[in-house]
Amino acid sequence: MKRKFNFYLGAAASACLLAILVIVAELAAPFKTLLQTLFGHHWIGKAVIVALVFVAAGFLVKEKKPHEKLAWYSAVGSMAVIFLFYVIEFLV
Amino acid sequence: MRDAVLFAHIILGAALAVLSIIILLEMKKRKSSILRPLSVLTAGLSWSVLVPAGILYINFYPATKTLIKAGAWPWAHSIFMETKEHWGLLLPVIATVAAGMVLTGKIQESRKWWLLLIAVTILIGVMGRVVKLGAFA
Repeated sequence: MKRKFNFYLGAAASACLLAILVIVAELAAPFKTLLQTLFGHHWIGKAVIVALVFVAAGFLVKEKKPHEKLAWYSAVGSMAVIFLFYVIEFLV
Repeated sequence: MRDAVLFAHIILGAALAVLSIIILLEMKKRKSSILRPLSVLTAGLSWSVLVPAGILYINFYPATKTLIKAGAWPWAHSIFMETKEHWGLLLPVIATVAAGMVLTGKIQESRKWWLLLIAVTILIGVMGRVVKLGAFA
Protein backbone atom coordinates (compact mmCIF):
# COMPACT_ATOMS: atom_id res chain seq x y z
CA MET A 1 0.00 0.00 0.00
CA LYS A 2 1.28 3.44 -0.93
CA ARG A 3 1.96 5.57 2.12
CA LYS A 4 1.17 9.28 1.90
CA PHE A 5 3.65 11.87 3.10
CA ASN A 6 2.27 13.81 6.06
CA PHE A 7 3.77 17.28 5.54
CA TYR A 8 2.21 18.65 8.71
CA LEU A 9 3.60 16.06 11.12
CA GLY A 10 7.00 16.25 9.42
CA ALA A 11 7.01 20.04 9.82
CA ALA A 12 5.76 19.95 13.41
CA ALA A 13 8.36 17.36 14.47
CA SER A 14 11.29 19.04 12.73
CA ALA A 15 10.36 22.56 13.92
CA CYS A 16 10.03 21.48 17.57
CA LEU A 17 13.23 19.46 17.35
CA LEU A 18 15.15 22.41 15.90
CA ALA A 19 14.26 24.62 18.88
CA ILE A 20 15.33 21.81 21.25
CA LEU A 21 18.59 21.23 19.35
CA VAL A 22 19.42 24.96 19.43
CA ILE A 23 18.84 25.29 23.17
CA VAL A 24 20.56 22.05 24.16
CA ALA A 25 23.58 22.77 21.93
CA GLU A 26 24.01 26.22 23.49
CA LEU A 27 23.55 25.08 27.08
CA ALA A 28 25.43 21.77 26.89
CA ALA A 29 28.84 22.22 25.28
CA PRO A 30 29.48 18.43 24.98
CA PHE A 31 26.36 18.10 22.80
CA LYS A 32 27.54 20.88 20.48
CA THR A 33 30.95 19.19 20.32
CA LEU A 34 29.25 15.88 19.50
CA LEU A 35 27.39 17.52 16.59
CA GLN A 36 30.68 19.01 15.37
CA THR A 37 32.44 15.66 15.64
CA LEU A 38 29.70 13.74 13.85
CA PHE A 39 28.91 16.23 11.09
CA GLY A 40 31.96 18.50 10.83
CA HIS A 41 29.99 21.53 12.09
CA HIS A 42 27.11 21.92 14.55
CA TRP A 43 25.02 23.81 11.94
CA ILE A 44 25.37 20.97 9.43
CA GLY A 45 24.41 18.54 12.19
CA LYS A 46 21.24 20.48 12.94
CA ALA A 47 20.41 20.82 9.22
CA VAL A 48 20.82 17.08 8.59
CA ILE A 49 18.82 16.08 11.69
CA VAL A 50 15.99 18.53 10.91
CA ALA A 51 15.79 17.30 7.29
CA LEU A 52 15.87 13.63 8.31
CA VAL A 53 13.21 14.11 10.99
CA PHE A 54 11.02 16.05 8.54
CA VAL A 55 11.14 13.16 6.07
CA ALA A 56 10.97 10.38 8.67
CA ALA A 57 8.07 11.86 10.65
CA GLY A 58 6.25 12.68 7.42
CA PHE A 59 6.53 9.12 6.14
CA LEU A 60 6.54 7.01 9.27
CA VAL A 61 3.98 8.51 11.63
CA LYS A 62 0.65 6.85 10.95
CA GLU A 63 -1.88 9.61 11.31
CA LYS A 64 -4.60 10.49 8.86
CA LYS A 65 -5.66 13.75 10.52
CA PRO A 66 -4.26 16.82 8.73
CA HIS A 67 -2.72 18.56 11.83
CA GLU A 68 -2.18 21.74 9.85
CA LYS A 69 -2.62 23.90 12.95
CA LEU A 70 -0.05 21.83 14.84
CA ALA A 71 2.46 22.36 12.03
CA TRP A 72 1.71 26.09 11.88
CA TYR A 73 2.09 26.70 15.62
CA SER A 74 5.19 24.49 15.76
CA ALA A 75 6.91 26.42 12.97
CA VAL A 76 6.00 29.88 14.27
CA GLY A 77 6.56 28.84 17.89
CA SER A 78 9.96 27.33 17.12
CA MET A 79 11.12 30.56 15.47
CA ALA A 80 9.84 32.65 18.39
CA VAL A 81 11.55 30.38 20.93
CA ILE A 82 14.87 30.48 19.03
CA PHE A 83 14.81 34.30 18.80
CA LEU A 84 13.83 34.76 22.45
CA PHE A 85 16.43 32.23 23.58
CA TYR A 86 19.23 34.18 21.91
CA VAL A 87 17.92 37.51 23.26
CA ILE A 88 17.83 36.10 26.80
CA GLU A 89 21.21 34.38 26.41
CA PHE A 90 22.75 37.68 25.29
CA LEU A 91 21.18 39.71 28.09
CA VAL A 92 21.77 37.31 30.97
CA MET B 1 34.76 32.03 -4.72
CA ARG B 2 33.30 33.96 -1.78
CA ASP B 3 31.54 36.50 -3.99
CA ALA B 4 30.04 33.84 -6.26
CA VAL B 5 28.64 31.95 -3.26
CA LEU B 6 27.40 35.17 -1.67
CA PHE B 7 25.59 36.19 -4.87
CA ALA B 8 24.07 32.70 -5.17
CA HIS B 9 22.90 32.94 -1.56
CA ILE B 10 21.29 36.37 -2.06
CA ILE B 11 19.76 35.54 -5.47
CA LEU B 12 18.30 32.21 -4.31
CA GLY B 13 16.98 33.82 -1.12
CA ALA B 14 15.38 36.70 -3.03
CA ALA B 15 13.94 34.21 -5.54
CA LEU B 16 12.12 32.46 -2.70
CA ALA B 17 10.27 35.67 -1.81
CA VAL B 18 9.61 36.65 -5.44
CA LEU B 19 8.36 33.19 -6.43
CA SER B 20 6.11 33.07 -3.35
CA ILE B 21 4.58 36.42 -4.35
CA ILE B 22 4.02 35.13 -7.90
CA ILE B 23 2.38 32.00 -6.43
CA LEU B 24 0.05 34.15 -4.32
CA LEU B 25 -0.88 36.18 -7.41
CA GLU B 26 -1.47 33.00 -9.42
CA MET B 27 -3.90 31.84 -6.73
CA LYS B 28 -6.14 34.78 -7.56
CA LYS B 29 -6.65 33.41 -11.06
CA ARG B 30 -9.49 31.01 -11.72
CA LYS B 31 -7.16 28.46 -13.17
CA SER B 32 -3.38 28.52 -13.23
CA SER B 33 -1.22 26.07 -15.13
CA ILE B 34 2.00 27.23 -13.47
CA LEU B 35 0.90 27.13 -9.82
CA ARG B 36 1.95 23.53 -9.19
CA PRO B 37 5.31 23.64 -11.02
CA LEU B 38 6.13 27.00 -9.40
CA SER B 39 5.34 25.58 -5.96
CA VAL B 40 7.58 22.56 -6.54
CA LEU B 41 10.35 24.81 -7.90
CA THR B 42 10.12 27.11 -4.86
CA ALA B 43 10.28 24.18 -2.45
CA GLY B 44 13.30 22.79 -4.35
CA LEU B 45 15.02 26.19 -4.29
CA SER B 46 14.40 26.50 -0.56
CA TRP B 47 16.43 23.33 0.06
CA SER B 48 19.17 24.41 -2.37
CA VAL B 49 19.65 27.75 -0.54
CA LEU B 50 21.16 25.75 2.32
CA VAL B 51 24.23 24.95 0.19
CA PRO B 52 25.56 28.52 -0.33
CA ALA B 53 24.32 29.43 3.17
CA GLY B 54 26.37 26.62 4.68
CA ILE B 55 29.48 27.41 2.62
CA LEU B 56 29.36 31.09 3.65
CA TYR B 57 28.58 30.37 7.30
CA ILE B 58 31.20 27.69 7.78
CA ASN B 59 34.06 28.98 5.63
CA PHE B 60 33.77 32.75 5.54
CA TYR B 61 31.67 33.90 8.48
CA PRO B 62 34.12 33.10 11.35
CA ALA B 63 36.33 36.10 10.43
CA THR B 64 33.28 38.41 10.32
CA LYS B 65 32.08 36.98 13.63
CA THR B 66 35.39 37.88 15.29
CA LEU B 67 35.04 41.47 14.03
CA ILE B 68 31.43 41.77 15.20
CA LYS B 69 32.10 40.32 18.65
CA ALA B 70 34.99 42.77 19.13
CA GLY B 71 32.97 45.75 17.88
CA ALA B 72 30.20 47.95 19.24
CA TRP B 73 27.37 45.65 18.10
CA PRO B 74 28.15 42.21 19.57
CA TRP B 75 24.39 41.54 19.65
CA ALA B 76 24.42 41.58 15.84
CA HIS B 77 26.05 38.15 16.03
CA SER B 78 24.74 36.88 19.37
CA ILE B 79 21.09 37.58 18.56
CA PHE B 80 20.62 38.24 14.85
CA MET B 81 23.16 35.90 13.24
CA GLU B 82 22.37 33.07 15.64
CA THR B 83 18.64 33.51 14.97
CA LYS B 84 19.12 33.90 11.20
CA GLU B 85 21.27 30.79 10.81
CA HIS B 86 18.65 28.66 12.56
CA TRP B 87 15.50 30.22 11.10
CA GLY B 88 17.06 29.47 7.72
CA LEU B 89 16.83 25.75 8.50
CA LEU B 90 13.04 26.08 8.72
CA LEU B 91 12.63 27.81 5.34
CA PRO B 92 12.71 24.52 3.38
CA VAL B 93 10.25 22.97 5.82
CA ILE B 94 7.83 25.90 5.43
CA ALA B 95 8.20 25.95 1.62
CA THR B 96 7.73 22.17 1.36
CA VAL B 97 4.55 22.27 3.47
CA ALA B 98 3.22 25.13 1.31
CA ALA B 99 4.06 23.26 -1.90
CA GLY B 100 2.59 20.04 -0.49
CA MET B 101 -0.67 21.82 0.25
CA VAL B 102 -0.84 23.15 -3.33
CA LEU B 103 -0.13 19.67 -4.72
CA THR B 104 -2.86 18.12 -2.56
CA GLY B 105 -5.45 20.70 -3.62
CA LYS B 106 -5.43 22.82 -0.45
CA ILE B 107 -4.54 25.87 -2.47
CA GLN B 108 -6.32 28.60 -0.52
CA GLU B 109 -5.25 27.06 2.80
CA SER B 110 -1.62 27.25 1.65
CA ARG B 111 -1.78 31.05 1.40
CA LYS B 112 -0.65 31.67 5.00
CA TRP B 113 2.32 29.32 4.54
CA TRP B 114 3.48 31.25 1.46
CA LEU B 115 3.00 34.49 3.41
CA LEU B 116 5.04 33.02 6.28
CA LEU B 117 7.77 32.03 3.80
CA ILE B 118 7.87 35.60 2.42
CA ALA B 119 7.93 37.15 5.92
CA VAL B 120 10.68 34.85 7.22
CA THR B 121 12.77 35.27 4.05
CA ILE B 122 12.56 39.07 4.31
CA LEU B 123 13.35 39.02 8.04
CA ILE B 124 16.37 36.79 7.39
CA GLY B 125 17.51 39.24 4.70
CA VAL B 126 17.14 42.19 7.09
CA MET B 127 19.01 40.30 9.83
CA GLY B 128 21.77 39.54 7.31
CA ARG B 129 22.10 43.26 6.62
CA VAL B 130 22.26 44.05 10.35
CA VAL B 131 24.98 41.41 10.79
CA LYS B 132 26.96 42.93 7.92
CA LEU B 133 26.63 46.43 9.43
CA GLY B 134 27.72 44.98 12.78
CA ALA B 135 31.10 44.11 11.30
CA PHE B 136 31.77 47.82 10.72
CA ALA B 137 30.27 49.18 13.94
